[in-house]
This record gives sequence, C-alpha cells and structure tokens, in this order.
Amino acid sequence: MSFLEIDRLSAGYDGRTVIHDVSLAVEPGEFVAILGRNGSGKSTLIKAVQNLIGRSAGRVRCGGEDVSGLGPRRLAARIAYVSQLAEPVFEYTVGEIVLMGRFARQGRLERFSAEDEAAAAEAMRWTDVEALRGQRLSQLSGGESQRVFIARALAQDAPLLLLDEPSSHLDIAYQVEIYRLLARLQKERAKAVMVAEHNINLAAAYAGRLVFLAGGTIAAEGPPEETVTAGNIRRIFGADVDIRANSRSGRPEVSLAGVGEKP
Amino acid sequence: MSVRSGRRIFWAVSLFLFLAGMVLSLLTGPVMTTPADLVRFLRAPDPVHAAIFVDLRLARAVLAFLVGAALALSGAILQGYFRNPMADPFVVGVSSGASLGAVTATLLGFEAAAFGFSGPGLFAFVSGLAIVSLVYVLSLRRGGFKVETLLLTGIAAGSLASALTSFLLFMRSDSYDRAVFWLLGSFQLAEWSQAAAIAPWVALGLAGSIWLARDMDLLALGDETAQALGSPVRRVRKVFLALSALLASLGVAVSGIIGFVGLVVPHWVRLLIGPSHRRLFAASALAGGTFLLYCDLLARNLLPAELPIGVITAAVGAPFFLYLLHKKR
Repeated sequence: MSFLEIDRLSAGYDGRTVIHDVSLAVEPGEFVAILGRNGSGKSTLIKAVQNLIGRSAGRVRCGGEDVSGLGPRRLAARIAYVSQLAEPVFEYTVGEIVLMGRFARQGRLERFSAEDEAAAAEAMRWTDVEALRGQRLSQLSGGESQRVFIARALAQDAPLLLLDEPSSHLDIAYQVEIYRLLARLQKERAKAVMVAEHNINLAAAYAGRLVFLAGGTIAAEGPPEETVTAGNIRRIFGADVDIRANSRSGRPEVSLAGVGEKP
Repeated sequence: MSVRSGRRIFWAVSLFLFLAGMVLSLLTGPVMTTPADLVRFLRAPDPVHAAIFVDLRLARAVLAFLVGAALALSGAILQGYFRNPMADPFVVGVSSGASLGAVTATLLGFEAAAFGFSGPGLFAFVSGLAIVSLVYVLSLRRGGFKVETLLLTGIAAGSLASALTSFLLFMRSDSYDRAVFWLLGSFQLAEWSQAAAIAPWVALGLAGSIWLARDMDLLALGDETAQALGSPVRRVRKVFLALSALLASLGVAVSGIIGFVGLVVPHWVRLLIGPSHRRLFAASALAGGTFLLYCDLLARNLLPAELPIGVITAAVGAPFFLYLLHKKR
C-alpha cells in the first residue's frame, strides 16, 4: 500500500479552488517532484496533503488513515514539512530551531529527553549544520538556513518529507547541495520525499518521478525520461525547448530553444 | 560569558532588585520610617505601624508588582502572537477599550465596588475584554482569519475608543480630575482587596502562557510550519489572545492605563535571555513587576506631589531601552 494516497483532491484558498481532482500516490522511499508554472497549484497541493488548507473534495490518506482525522500532533509524526524560505523572526539559535522538530514527540512541560537531543544531533550531522549550532538564523546564508530547516524536519523523524520550493532564493551551488542532501536522505534513510519545484532540470536530475500540474490538474506524470519532452514542456509551460541527455547522468535536461540564435 | 551564565546573572539580578524594591517601598513614604522601625515592627507588631507598613505600603508595592507582571506578560504574549517585537496591549485595542469603560463609569458616577474592583475598574475590565472579542469577531473572514487583519482591526478599534474617551471628557470637562486617574495611571488608591482580586488571574495567565510557551516558539516559524510541527495553531492563538486581553484589562482595572511596560519589558528581556518563550514569559513577569515597583517608588517620592506613573514608566524606560538596543548591535 502506498504511504501517501491522494484521491480526487480539490482544494484552494478563501473558497477559490486551485487544484481540481488530483489523484496521486507516493510509495515509501520514493522521490517525487511536482512541477508546473507559477500558480499551477504546486504549493497548494503540498499544503492540502497535510491538511494545512481546507479541501473542498476528495480524500488524502497517510499511512492508511485520513489526514483530516489525525490532528496536528499525530500528523507531525508521519509528515515533516519545510516551507518556502522565509525571514526568521526573533533570534532563535540553530540548535533551538532543530529541537522544535521534536515538539510533537513531547509533553508540553517536559524537558528535552536524551532521545530528543540525540535525534536533533543526528539531524544536524546529516545536514552538516553541527558547527552552526549556537548561531542565530539571521547570521546564516540562504543555503545554510535551508539545511537548518531540513534538519528540523529530520529531527521530526517522519517517514515523508514535503518541501515547498526548497531551491528558490538559492544560488546554483546551494540548489545542488540541497537536492543531493534530499537524494541521500531518500536512499540512505529511506525517506519518501515530495517537493514542489520550479526548476525542471533540478527535479529531473534527482527525482524518480515527475508530476506536472497545469491549471490545477495533473498534465503529465512519470519518470523524467518519459515526461521531460519538448512536446510536454511546450504544452504545459508554453515554452519552446530542446531536450538533451545530461552528459554525465544521462537524465533529460531542457535548454531554451532560440538561445544563441540571432533575433 | 556563556549564554547560560548570562541567564543566571539575569535571574539573580532581577530577584535581588525585586527584594530590594520591596524593602525600599516599605521604608519610603510621607511618614518618616527607618530600617530600625521596620525591624522593631517585625519583632513586635503594633497597629500604627501595621497600618503604615502593611495596609498602605506593602499593599501598594504588591499591587504595583502584580500589575507590572500582568502588563509585561501581556506584552510578551502579544509580541509572540504578532511575531513583532513592537506589539503591546495597545495594538489589539484592549488598553484604550478598558480606559473608555473606566472613564464612562466615572462620568456616570458609577462607583459601587464589586469583586475587589472599584466601579470604574469593573467597567474597565469588562470593556477591555469586550473590545478584544469584538476585534476578533470583526477580523474573522470567510475561510479563516489573518493575523494582519486582527492587528489592523485592533489598532482601528483602539483609536475609536480613544476618540470616544476624548469626546466624553470634552463634553464633561468638570469630571476631568476624576477621569485623569484612569488615563495616566496611579497606585494611589491601592488596597489589599485589589491585589487579592487580580493575583489569581495573574497566576492563571502566567501558568497558561508557560503551558503553551513551546507552541508560541513554533508560531515564530509561521502558522503553517507551526501546525505541521504539531501545534493546534487556531486553538493556541485563541487562548493566547484571551490571556493577553485578560491580563491587560486587569492592569487597567486597578491602576488605569500604564503605557510602555508591555512594550519595552519583554523586549529588554528578550535581548538579555533570548527568545525562547518559556523563559521569556516567566522573566517578563518578574522584570515587569520589578520595573513597575521602582517606577511607583519614583512616582511617589520624586516630587512633593505624586506623579502619574505612566509618566515615569516612559521617562525611565525609553533611555534604558535605547541603551540596550545600541549596546546589542
């Protein structure tokens, strides 16, 4: 049975439906990327799946149970979420932020247990932020902040990681660094990973399956080799591209058609 | 200096200042008393000194401490609530709403005391809570509620309440002297019954906010992230809004509007011991109470006539605030 089952889901904000009738299943240990134009419903899907926004129709089951019946605390044990990079408020240290991932595992007045400390330390080791432990978030670069938020999600110890545009606002080196980290977590920690992503090449390089949204419905779905085609990209994004295989990985890549030509 | 030892110093200094402030409050006043008088009284109590030390000075000091604690805690809650260190009880309209209630009761001559509060105090308490409820209901929209809408609604409602207060005072300028107590704040009328009336609520406010302090930490990451981490955000927000309104209304109900404490004390404390809310709530209550204790000492001793305490809180608080702000940069 799939770990996450999305069944004919429709959802949106303030009574406006953004995604319509989306069905999708994510297996344990799978890396799925949601792609699409701005406003196509990528973020909405990521949020609706974990019950952060209301849905108007359909059902989402996680680990066999309907997410709307789980409550935030029990849902946090199954799904960890990293939102789009936001400006931090108040001067929390990196160590404090990562420990916030343990919230759902403790009573409200309990001190952090040895298990909590160990989970946070392990999460910081995986994301290579141990040296930043005492630093304030405002002192970090974008790539470092993103690693701290992923550490917080890891400390949560949930089988599924959902990330909303983890590469946005990051330079090219940090983008690759974050995706390599996600791929390692998928392979070595058996995490299921689902990202909303706008960079097709990045998603095609690391995800095992791509889901293209257009106008709030699924327009294409499958492994990168089958879905990243010039026809699909023109149909979904309205952009003319050439497709070629990456010279090292063999994964498909898009390059803008027309670039280098004389106007 | 490590962070932990910095926190120890903070607690030690705050406790020392609190105890010293209590002793100073007992020793100063219109009747000259010496430490020897206090020691003699503690060994062999007599009715005259009991009236001075216990009924007048201790009651006033305890009340000032409780109100300071309530206002600072209310401010600490609201700053976390709005993720904004510039928030205080004025931004949700509670202070202005409560003082409108008090002034209205004063002008109507409604003086009957109940539950340990004076008539205007009771009006202040009820209208403070009423205006926050109104602000909350007005900021609910189809499909949910936005913190930004609440903030703007609160500011608008507070301005409206202030305008109404000014209008009432303009129409009934003969009552200005009685109303000014509520507008500038004072502990001149402090009594044990008032301290007893608000103490349980302040304790409840502190216990409730510490119970949900980790949820407040998560809110700093954004509502969606907080919920994804396991916090029931909507319920948590309701409880915190109610607690902050309760605490601020209580303060106005016994001593009138006292500005600056709710804004500045939590800010100082955050600069000194960090943003983690469990510590912040407890430390803000202690520091706010101690701060107001000293402000009241100044208010009643600086000049032959007693000064409104709101004047002192701003005059003492603002320079110290600026000093900390620049030192930290």
